[in-house]
Amino acid sequence: MNIHYIGEHSWAGFLGNAFIVLSFTAALLAAVSYLITANSTLEENSWKKIGRIAFRVHSVSVFGIMGTLFWMLRSHYFEYQYIWQHSNMAMPMKYIFSCFWEGQEGSFLLWTFWHMVLGNILIRYSKEWEAPVMTVFSFVQIFLTSMLLGIYFGSVHIGSNPFMLMREMPENIGMPWTKLGNYLEKIPLFKDGRGLNPLLQNYWMTIHPPTLFLGFASTLVPFAYAIAGLWKKKLDSWQAQALPWTFFGIMILGTGILMGGAWAYEALTFGGFWAWDPVENASLVPWLCFVGAGHVMLVNKNRKISLFSTFFLPILTFLLVLYSTFLTRSGILGNTSVHAFTDLGMSGQLMLYMLFFVWLAVTLLVLNRRLQIFYTLLSLCFLIMGIVTSYKTASVFSFALASLVILIAGYRNFFPKEEKEEELWTREFWMFIGSLVLAIASFQIILYTSFPVLNKIIQIDLVHALIQGLHTKLQAWFNFKGLANFASGSIAPERNAIAFYNKWQALFAIIVAFLVGFGQFMKYKHTAFRDFSKKLIIPMLLAAGLTVLIGFDLPNDNQLQFVLNELLLFTSLFAVLSNVEYWRRVGKGKLSKSGSSIAHIGFGLILLGALVSNAKKEVISRNVNGDLRTLDKSLSNSNNILLTKGDTLPMGNYYLTYLGRRKNGIYIYFDVAYLKKEEGKAFEHQFTLSPFVQMNDRMGNVAEPATRHFVTRDIYTHVKFADLDPATVSSSEDYTTPVEKTAGRHDTIFTSNSMMILDSLTTRFDKKRYGLPDSILAVQANFTVLDVNKHQYRAQPVFTIRNNESKPIEETVPELGLKLNFWKVDPTNGKISLYVSEKKTNKRDFIVMEAMIFPWINVLWIGCLIMISGTVLAIRERVSIRKKGNNPTRSGS
Amino acid sequence: MKKSHIIGIIIIALAIGMIMTSLVSTSKYATFTESFKNQGSEFHIVGKWDKVKGTVYDPQKDPNLFVFYMTDIDGVERQVSLHNTKPQDFEKSEQVVVIGKTKGSDFQASETLVKCPSKYNDNKPVQ
Repeated sequence: MNIHYIGEHSWAGFLGNAFIVLSFTAALLAAVSYLITANSTLEENSWKKIGRIAFRVHSVSVFGIMGTLFWMLRSHYFEYQYIWQHSNMAMPMKYIFSCFWEGQEGSFLLWTFWHMVLGNILIRYSKEWEAPVMTVFSFVQIFLTSMLLGIYFGSVHIGSNPFMLMREMPENIGMPWTKLGNYLEKIPLFKDGRGLNPLLQNYWMTIHPPTLFLGFASTLVPFAYAIAGLWKKKLDSWQAQALPWTFFGIMILGTGILMGGAWAYEALTFGGFWAWDPVENASLVPWLCFVGAGHVMLVNKNRKISLFSTFFLPILTFLLVLYSTFLTRSGILGNTSVHAFTDLGMSGQLMLYMLFFVWLAVTLLVLNRRLQIFYTLLSLCFLIMGIVTSYKTASVFSFALASLVILIAGYRNFFPKEEKEEELWTREFWMFIGSLVLAIASFQIILYTSFPVLNKIIQIDLVHALIQGLHTKLQAWFNFKGLANFASGSIAPERNAIAFYNKWQALFAIIVAFLVGFGQFMKYKHTAFRDFSKKLIIPMLLAAGLTVLIGFDLPNDNQLQFVLNELLLFTSLFAVLSNVEYWRRVGKGKLSKSGSSIAHIGFGLILLGALVSNAKKEVISRNVNGDLRTLDKSLSNSNNILLTKGDTLPMGNYYLTYLGRRKNGIYIYFDVAYLKKEEGKAFEHQFTLSPFVQMNDRMGNVAEPATRHFVTRDIYTHVKFADLDPATVSSSEDYTTPVEKTAGRHDTIFTSNSMMILDSLTTRFDKKRYGLPDSILAVQANFTVLDVNKHQYRAQPVFTIRNNESKPIEETVPELGLKLNFWKVDPTNGKISLYVSEKKTNKRDFIVMEAMIFPWINVLWIGCLIMISGTVLAIRERVSIRKKGNNPTRSGS
Repeated sequence: MKKSHIIGIIIIALAIGMIMTSLVSTSKYATFTESFKNQGSEFHIVGKWDKVKGTVYDPQKDPNLFVFYMTDIDGVERQVSLHNTKPQDFEKSEQVVVIGKTKGSDFQASETLVKCPSKYNDNKPVQ
């Protein structure tokens, strides 16, 4: 049966798919051609030309894919699944990029795009390395474009295609509506898309992913060079070319990560710029490793040592990028991260790619033909086992274990090593130590982040039995908390995992900062100790002095953390000051020669800002009224406070007033005024912050904090809870049904926001004010009304008797939203009755909020900028020193 | 002794230290039954909110207390007191992870992870 579908823009999907197939095929051709070129002895041959042309065709097709997808997003072709899912009509055009890479397909496309750009630059500048490097690039591109193919073999699918029509989705096939030719008109769902996740409607979403992915993509360059070096058996000549690229990547990836931190700080609700969330860790870990890689490459360039590390660290960096992608994209972190992505059914494919590159790297690193063949055969066995049997996790685990063993064996037996022992007082030795510390630091993070993976491994039957057995045997004399969790394969991160990370990472940061402080003053080959220590004495003393000044103020409720913080304070100050000194002394304050000092000053400032703003972070919204009967001290939480409209509560040095809410489109703003008060003076308005909630029926509401920035500190205000029931918000002028209250003299009547005390009843009062003739019989009740802040108001409801009929005259207290109707006096006891009604918002308009102060966080941001500009200077310097006509940085950035 | 050996020993010591402290600073994915047997130890419990029983949150009384009922993967249902504000979109949650300890008759949570189908997952358009 052939159905003619009306209104579908099928040409777009056709075009997009054609580009995908073309880019995939072209990458395949490029890989094969470059492989042949690299293996041939001829310098220029026709295969190289074919390879270049194929990569160009691949590049054009990647542009084609992206262009088509943009066009479809722009034109709202909601019959396409990707368009429907990630955009809608209401969304402003400025978020079109965000829609583009919101989905997994789009972000893989972005990644492919950057590889393609970098690849084209390398074709121009990599000279004799072109063929092997581009072979690696083309292979990676084959894998990445295959992620977009979307071919189904029964239930297994390769890739997820962004050009899939909604009616072609596997879960929709066979649905009755797909048989309707005019389904686009009939089904209202297709009139509009689901739209962009409200969390991501933020300008950071426009710039953070491309920067981060460019960073990820640039880890491929040193990886490709390292692989090429091993493959062509030119172990020590590739580093010079790869070095500027490595630092370019470090800078871009670092910027991307920091942008993520800035986004988290400004718009998200993590309560800080870094929360050690698995998704954040996934990008930090490769970066740490990358920094290590860059520094061993520097060492190697100057002294031709640490050869193995110059291979191992760039390779590890790239593999960690793949591993991180796997962690965040496979859904395995589902229970530990707030925002891990879910599985698109591609985790198997991602895993295979990662394992392929592990195999490739290890095979080349062992440098021995027989071991290589043995390892390859072993890998094939595990591959077959993984595909055919159901022991998938077990196969992967065994493969990983085997790779590690083989790598160690290969390194010990076949890798060339330096003969003589390292000198202790040399720059290269301590730079190497620094890189090692960075690698260990990244290991700590990845270990703790990988608990879900660890659980998966332990849940393998055999491993489980083995570990359980060991555990019961050892339990008697070797037992500590956590071991049982590990043995049962249900290990979870601790509740205050942040504190745990902070302690370990503070330790590593102390070491690294210290090395950064004195490393520059060391010389290659040999350092005269006396001269060296003389130069360092001033920055050391200055740093110590400042530490004493600032340090006594750090919180000391946790001994270990306090000691670590003090040490980190000292070493990061030392790092900053000694690099300033180095720049002054050795660089003579010139910009051109000082890239590395400036970058290191920035790094020190980042540590300093992170330390001070985090350690001295202060929650000022302390709740004192809450239920203090909490059973467990460690659970008691008083960080959130209730603020009713009109209330003024003291918080920190301020008094806070909730002024009310405003609605603007889909946003509801909550205005919170910060006031100051000096003894005996009136409140003085300082500033108003308006945290808001973005209403989104489909995807849930999203709250965004507001922050007031000062030079020395930031004040952060976040609405944690507010009643968003539209009835409450819209009918703010409504009053509740009147409630009868009685009171005698000096009795108190309670309303939801005030106390009313009946002072007196009188018949003598100014009746003209109420428009009454003097002759009429009337009683006036005098109330003193006190609100929660003990502000006084007066209320004087009147009760009249005319023609034997009692009649109240309504009295209002507009400030408090009260209406009073005095309608009866009981002659027997002198008590009066009155009806009280209140504005509905009196009862309901409140917010639960959190307010925090982050002191000196600007030091962190300034540090970021300085580090980035320092790295740019350093790369420029490197490139101009080499002056071989290739300038990857300028064309790359 | 060569310097590389000293470095090696330090690294191995650090690695062991990291692994041990990592294990010590963990909690466990468990069920209510296990948590109620081990009062006072911290657990992560994965489950679903019982929609029928609703939730209690009265910020006027205590903005840091939110009470609901949760059924764990074994089908055991317990009352959970979360010592924090009511999480955004709790009503839409598909799965809840509560982190805390059992004290007495209910589970005292200090944190929750609420998984909403719409926010991070891909909603299927037509069922």
